[in-house]
Amino acid sequence: MEFSYEVKDSYAEVKADGRLNMVSAPKLREFVTDVIAGGSNRIVVNLENTAFMDSSGLGALIGCLKAARQAGGDLRIAAVQPQVNMVLKLTSMDKVLTAYATADEAFGND
Amino acid sequence: MTEILASRAFRGPAAEDAIEAVHNDLDSLWLDVPFVNDMDQMTFTTAVIESASNIVQHAQPAGERDVELGVETTVQPALLQARVSAYYAKPPFGPMEASTPDEDAESGRGLALIEALVTTVTFERQDGTNTWVLSRTSSQD
Repeated sequence: MEFSYEVKDSYAEVKADGRLNMVSAPKLREFVTDVIAGGSNRIVVNLENTAFMDSSGLGALIGCLKAARQAGGDLRIAAVQPQVNMVLKLTSMDKVLTAYATADEAFGND
Repeated sequence: MTEILASRAFRGPAAEDAIEAVHNDLDSLWLDVPFVNDMDQMTFTTAVIESASNIVQHAQPAGERDVELGVETTVQPALLQARVSAYYAKPPFGPMEASTPDEDAESGRGLALIEALVTTVTFERQDGTNTWVLSRTSSQD
């Protein structure tokens, strides 16, 4: 899995490309923690190229969400693909991790 | 006799590398059986990776040998089946019941997810090997 980020006007966009599994989940947490430490507390994780997520990956997203909120911000997800959407729904975490169609829309009304 | 249309088998050290190898095996398996619909491929792959990850993360060696992971996947005309095994492992500890963790919990959802993804999950322990048998009745398009 490859991570990248870009600081936009009102949020930082993190891209996680590949499989978000037990191998990459701790790396995502570390990556997002560093982005938050760098001064961005409004995070959008763009999952456009995240073809797969398991419960470890979901746990990492929840950890990142808590870290963003502890820093006074929030974390939202965008461009969710079918397998990730399935995991979010089956675990009822779609109510906690709000999904937006695009990264731009995630903080569009705030 | 049961007709096996395609299969894959993996065995190796229960380590992180194994998860990517098993996932690659599954991706190549689906190329052999394009009639298995996307939903079945997606759900079954997720269940197998969850189970294999559970072994890599939690299986404890019974003796001096390191735990090995085995994943045998078969596709039959209306059935997807995987035998996900932990070799040289202690019996699993604690209740093997799916839990519903708090919404801010960062772990504990795997077993419930597996149960939601497949039709049946059974557990066998024989000769020091723990095996989870995952079956999904293939849906028709």
